[in-house]
Amino acid sequence: MTQTMVKSPGTEMAFIDEVCSIPGGEAVRSCIQCGMCTGSCPTANKWDYPPRKAIAMVRAGLRNELLSSNSMWFCVSCYSCTVRCPRDIKPADIMHALEIISIRSGLSTKRSRTPIMYQCFVDSARNYGRVYELGMMIKLFMRTNPFSALKLAPVGLGLFLHKRMPLKPSRIKGIAELKAILDKARALGGAK
Amino acid sequence: MEPREETKIGVYICHCGTNIAGTVDVEAVAEFAKTLPAVTVAREYTYMCSDPGQDLIRQDIKELGLNRIVVASCSPLMHERTYRRVCQESGLNPYLFEMANIREHCSWVTEDKEKATEKAKALVSAAVRRVYYQEPLETKEVPVNPNTLVVGAGIAGIQAALEIADSKHKVYLVEREPSVGGHMIQLDKTFPTLDCSACILTPKMSLVGAHPYIELMSYSEVEEISGYVGNFKAKIKKKARYVDVDKCTGCGECSSVCPVEVPNEFDLGLGMRKAIYRPFPQAVPNVFAIDKRGYPPCRVACPAGVNAQGYVALISQGKFKEALEVLRRTMPFAGVCGRVCTHPCEAECERGKVDEPVSIRSLKRFMADYEMKVGREKATPIERTKEDKIAILGSGPAGIGCAYDLIREGYPVTIFETAPKAGGLLRYGIPEYRLPQKVLDNEISYVEELGVEIKTKSPVQKFEDIFNQGYQAIFLATGAGVSQKMGIPGEDAKGVIHALDFLKKTSLGAKVALGEKVAVIGGGNAAIDAARVAKRLGVKEVSIVYRRSRAEMPAASEEVDEAEREGVKLHILAAPVKVLAKGEKVTGIQCIKMELGEPDASGRRRPEPIEGSEFDMSVDSVIMAIGQSVDKSALPKELEYTNWGTVVVDPATLQTNIEGVFAGGDVVSGPADVIAAVAAGKEAAISIDRYLRGVDLKEDRPAPLEKVKDVSKEGVESKARQAMPTLDAKKRAGFAEVELGFDEKAAIAEAKRCLNCGVCSECLECVKACQVGAIDQDMVEKTEEVEVGNIIVATGYDAFDPTPLYQYGYGRLDNVLSALEFERMINASGPTAGEVFLKDGSHPKTVGIIHCVGSRDEKYHEYCSQVCCMYSMKLGHMIREHVPGSQIYEFYIDLRCVGKGFEEFYNRVLEEGTIFIRGRPAEITDIAESPEEEGKLIVIGEDTLIGRQRRVPVDMVVLSTALEPKADAESVARLFSLSRSADGFFLEKHPKLDPVATMSDGIFVVGCCQSPKDIPQTVAQASAAAARALAMISAGSIEIEAATAVVDEELCSGCKTCSDLCPFHAISFDEEKQVSSINETLCKGCGVCVAACPSGAITGKHFTSEEIMAEIEGALV
Repeated sequence: MTQTMVKSPGTEMAFIDEVCSIPGGEAVRSCIQCGMCTGSCPTANKWDYPPRKAIAMVRAGLRNELLSSNSMWFCVSCYSCTVRCPRDIKPADIMHALEIISIRSGLSTKRSRTPIMYQCFVDSARNYGRVYELGMMIKLFMRTNPFSALKLAPVGLGLFLHKRMPLKPSRIKGIAELKAILDKARALGGAK
Repeated sequence: MEPREETKIGVYICHCGTNIAGTVDVEAVAEFAKTLPAVTVAREYTYMCSDPGQDLIRQDIKELGLNRIVVASCSPLMHERTYRRVCQESGLNPYLFEMANIREHCSWVTEDKEKATEKAKALVSAAVRRVYYQEPLETKEVPVNPNTLVVGAGIAGIQAALEIADSKHKVYLVEREPSVGGHMIQLDKTFPTLDCSACILTPKMSLVGAHPYIELMSYSEVEEISGYVGNFKAKIKKKARYVDVDKCTGCGECSSVCPVEVPNEFDLGLGMRKAIYRPFPQAVPNVFAIDKRGYPPCRVACPAGVNAQGYVALISQGKFKEALEVLRRTMPFAGVCGRVCTHPCEAECERGKVDEPVSIRSLKRFMADYEMKVGREKATPIERTKEDKIAILGSGPAGIGCAYDLIREGYPVTIFETAPKAGGLLRYGIPEYRLPQKVLDNEISYVEELGVEIKTKSPVQKFEDIFNQGYQAIFLATGAGVSQKMGIPGEDAKGVIHALDFLKKTSLGAKVALGEKVAVIGGGNAAIDAARVAKRLGVKEVSIVYRRSRAEMPAASEEVDEAEREGVKLHILAAPVKVLAKGEKVTGIQCIKMELGEPDASGRRRPEPIEGSEFDMSVDSVIMAIGQSVDKSALPKELEYTNWGTVVVDPATLQTNIEGVFAGGDVVSGPADVIAAVAAGKEAAISIDRYLRGVDLKEDRPAPLEKVKDVSKEGVESKARQAMPTLDAKKRAGFAEVELGFDEKAAIAEAKRCLNCGVCSECLECVKACQVGAIDQDMVEKTEEVEVGNIIVATGYDAFDPTPLYQYGYGRLDNVLSALEFERMINASGPTAGEVFLKDGSHPKTVGIIHCVGSRDEKYHEYCSQVCCMYSMKLGHMIREHVPGSQIYEFYIDLRCVGKGFEEFYNRVLEEGTIFIRGRPAEITDIAESPEEEGKLIVIGEDTLIGRQRRVPVDMVVLSTALEPKADAESVARLFSLSRSADGFFLEKHPKLDPVATMSDGIFVVGCCQSPKDIPQTVAQASAAAARALAMISAGSIEIEAATAVVDEELCSGCKTCSDLCPFHAISFDEEKQVSSINETLCKGCGVCVAACPSGAITGKHFTSEEIMAEIEGALV
């Protein structure tokens, strides 16, 4: 791990405030750094900075380092941490808040496909009112590594044979209204 | 051991769970015990101290008829009482019981089972053999004194005192400081509830001040404790507060006129207080005290004891008139001594150790100048209260100094002076440009206005003439006014004049023709004066011929400098050998060059002539200034003289060989300085007063003043003394004064440099200001003895001084504060009224608070101070409140929030946005590495939660310092016979089961003197100790140890060795029988007398030789 000196006059407050401004992130101040979240996390060993440390880094103002790490993208939203947190602060929500800031700041990592997958998922839902799995997956593989699709081919074939993966997308009624709702929600969330 | 049929011993071996049984083979020990003589039964059991265990003993006593019991278990300290009670309940005398300690002394100190078992057997055997010889003893009961002594009046002492007093029992509450309140009253708010410390404490403080059952002894200290539980005697020293507690109304008038300001200890030096002060406005008792540390060095150094600090302090406040009044309490010569004094005071001035001494002499002169400028009111004549007339011969400084003191005592005083005007050498020996005549005239008239009669042109030939005129005593102070001769050829030629004659003639206005060139012989003040006067009379070339080097000149060096500046030439290392004359007229002097040899008796190097180095100087006249002596021809023959021609006196009383005649000044000492002469006059005045009152001259004479010991120079910034303005050298042709004196601004600035060494300057302004007459400057400390049954020690703690932690920069870097300092700063009633300021006067935007400073650090204190986490967070919270928008960083190792509402407070502070950084900071620096760090303090340390080193720039750092035992804890422990634990705090009897009692019965410890703790715990302990004391009071009596010593009167030889050694004063001497006798109530059974008695007449009951020998034998078998 790099051991550079942290010089952060005042920036920690700016970062804390930024995280607090995202719904779900406001509890970052209350953390008592007990480590229950990291201890409960099934994927913690994959994280550059496991959840407890990620929160400590928010409070130390290490913005770029944290937002460009793979950390929060490994959160699989199992909510074990949230169930067990003694301060009731929902660490998973903080991780999602960090994901939002990371994407907005253009810092999201290339070492995880999750940011792109989230985008493909949201785009698909926005276009059709529901997820069009085949299109979304093709888009994801095209934007990441097309060859990795081969690994998932048997799963895809199985889904297809069980009629669980239609070839054509179906669009809901009133998609325009949905788009308007989603755009409004984005604007309210502070997105550009 | 004689077999004794009737003796039946029961032995009980305790397992103490596995504490004993884990190491000692208890069954084997029991089996072994059965084999011991006189043992009837031996058993082992898991817990002998438990009810079933005790029942075993009871049952055996009953059924087997046991009459001696041995229990082998833990320490007697733990359970001796338990088993004695068991015996007693079963009808057995408790002293027929013995305990063998096989736990602390055996199983706990080894893991070797075999050896442990062996030792246990030996201990049991020893106890069995001992108990065989033990005899039944009867315990005694003594009454318990219902009064209680509480030592220390912080929250612990206050709480304990109130609890006891509320039950209508008398409490003596002793507090060392002038006010009660302790550390708690220094705090602003208290965690976690944030209630104001003063709001919850001041009501209790005023209650202890007013409670009918509490006698508050503030500003007092316990000096000695004697006696024993239930019946202690305490000697309490009531320090002199110099203010009458009963009269003082706390109005504060005294403080407002006091000129002395020193840092206020209560505010940790962040604010100032006066020398007469109360630590804070809500003080209880609401009474002032004067801080007197001793006499300042200036005053001690002054031969006349002039109170320099007093007038300097008043000058610093612009009170010039009052300042002069202070000087005049000692002597009348402000203007004179302000100009010509040799100022020994300045040599001793403590300010000189910082930079330069205070210009005390110039300040003295300033007061006189100021008075002359604004005009002096005529002095009020002093009422004659005494009949005896006193004659003083000579009106120099000694004569006038003496007259001044005597007239103020109410004596009629007449001065006889030969010369046409009064003043002696002050008038005729010191030239006008150094001491203007009008200054001298003014001060002499002041003395005359007081009532001293001065008869000039009145030479006195015989003492009888004076005595015949009705005078009762004479002070001879005629000085040493005759010039010494050199003894060289041509010395009597016309044109050779002696310096004193020359100076006198000039001052009388006579013309002295000197010619164009003058040589002045000598290196003293008279020589310099003569040379400078000659220059002023228009002599073109004035040379001073002196036989040693310039450094050896006795004249004041600044005078020599001035002389040179005025054009006087110095011929050093030259001595005249002959005066050259043509007929009667001087034409020159022949000199010889000198070199310096070995030091002589005076320590100066002796000048030796260089052979063949003679040279001639052409001069028109010669002024001889090589010394003065006493003019014996003008004095009565019957006086006794020394070989030097001075008058012999008793050095202490200044009495001569003639009854009623005293002498002082130059006539006794030979030529000396003005202030020494004034001092001699004052000393003579004391003697004369005593002589006339018929009091012994020597006994109880005022002792020399004792100098103050330590003078703090902490934080004193270097500041040079004010320069003395002088007359331009070109304008010095006439006799105008050369030194011009300070103006008001310079005088005040100079006076402010004074360090106030003695703190109280004894200017007596407070005495004048106090309308109820409460101030008593002569108060002395008193000792009072009180009798009490219980003592509660609540002496508190000291805050750790973080200076040794150099890396944190305390005392080195600005804006690094200790927590207690910060408490005072943020306190609404503190020196800044609660405003948080940086050194530059701005408010901090970021503050770092460092926990565990001095705690959890084996270099200082290994222990956790328990309150720092919480008070640090409280301070963080308060800063955010006082400085809106400020950012707080808490640097911690662990957060220990262990109390009711503490964790909740932590969460609150977290959510407020305080940033917690885990890790003990390594250092604090002001060396910036980036623009953001410029002008800040940078806290460097590891943030262990992210595993990185961090640099956090802040404006201010607060060090959360440890609580440590008071600096004098050791002597307090000795005073109350307390033990201290490894951390230095007072040791409680048992950490869990007896936390407020101590090993000394009847003495309890509460609050932070026992260990660091917070206010709720302290209050709980105080109430607990009060309950313990009240329990004893309500029982009314207490059982006293029966194991005391007894004297066999047949054997006692009456040598009294024992009575001198007894630490409890229990042994007295029976004069009738001529033997010692022991008071069983006072005897603690310590055994000192038993061992000391040379005839073996004293026996310690329960520790007889027989018992001890048997025990030793048992252990060894």
